[in-house]
Amino acid sequence: MSVFRHRRFRWVDDVVRVDLPADDQDLLRTVLPQLREMLMAADDPALHRLNPPARADDEKAEAAYREMVDDDLLIQRLEAIEIVEEGIDGVDLDESGITAWMQSLNALRLVLAARLDIDIMGHDPIEDLDDDDPRMPIAAVYEWLGFLLGSLVDEAMNGFDD
Amino acid sequence: MTAPTAPTATPDVDVDDSVAFDHPWKVLVWDDPVNLMTYVAFVFRKLFGFSRAKADQLMMQVHIEGRAVVSSGNKEKAELDVFRLHEHGLWATLEQDS
Repeated sequence: MSVFRHRRFRWVDDVVRVDLPADDQDLLRTVLPQLREMLMAADDPALHRLNPPARADDEKAEAAYREMVDDDLLIQRLEAIEIVEEGIDGVDLDESGITAWMQSLNALRLVLAARLDIDIMGHDPIEDLDDDDPRMPIAAVYEWLGFLLGSLVDEAMNGFDD
Repeated sequence: MTAPTAPTATPDVDVDDSVAFDHPWKVLVWDDPVNLMTYVAFVFRKLFGFSRAKADQLMMQVHIEGRAVVSSGNKEKAELDVFRLHEHGLWATLEQDS
């Protein structure tokens, strides 16, 4: 699709310059508040993938770990979403900005993957779903987020020395 | 035979190192069908300062073998590393070496 030829992220002088087409901007302004609501409500099973068990072998230790980190994880994710929202119409990202964008785009992907049962279905939902499947719009957003995140990672790689 | 020599100073040991007598903890990252391979390698480089080759090798190990040990140390360090990996959406766990 020609829309994917638009260069959304570009490494310029130690920052990543964000230049999103209007449709991308609109979509991010739609899905980010939904992610925020979901994080705040904290009762959606899709969130499980964002906070996977750290101590799979030990229920008590896992409960203690969750108690210790869950608030911090939530605060950090909400802050990251805010940073992305502030830059949707164009921004130069330093290292912390890059991190916030990557974490938010990836969090969206993880949540949508849970909606799509990616674990069961396989890597390519658009390929696997019937055209009239009600989850097709979710699959399209999932794929778009993968494209966005991949583009950002490719550009941000320039920040490493080798 | 040898006689003990008087130490000239108290050993300079960080309190965090007192668990050095404990078994070390290791941090594992597990394969999942969602996270992009380039993203996983990027996160490894950023969090642990690995070279591109080392990060790619660990990422491929996760992908092919289903998991890889990405760091180790005392419990506090392992918990912090897991936290940072979870912040980035990677599937990480910690366990104690037995």
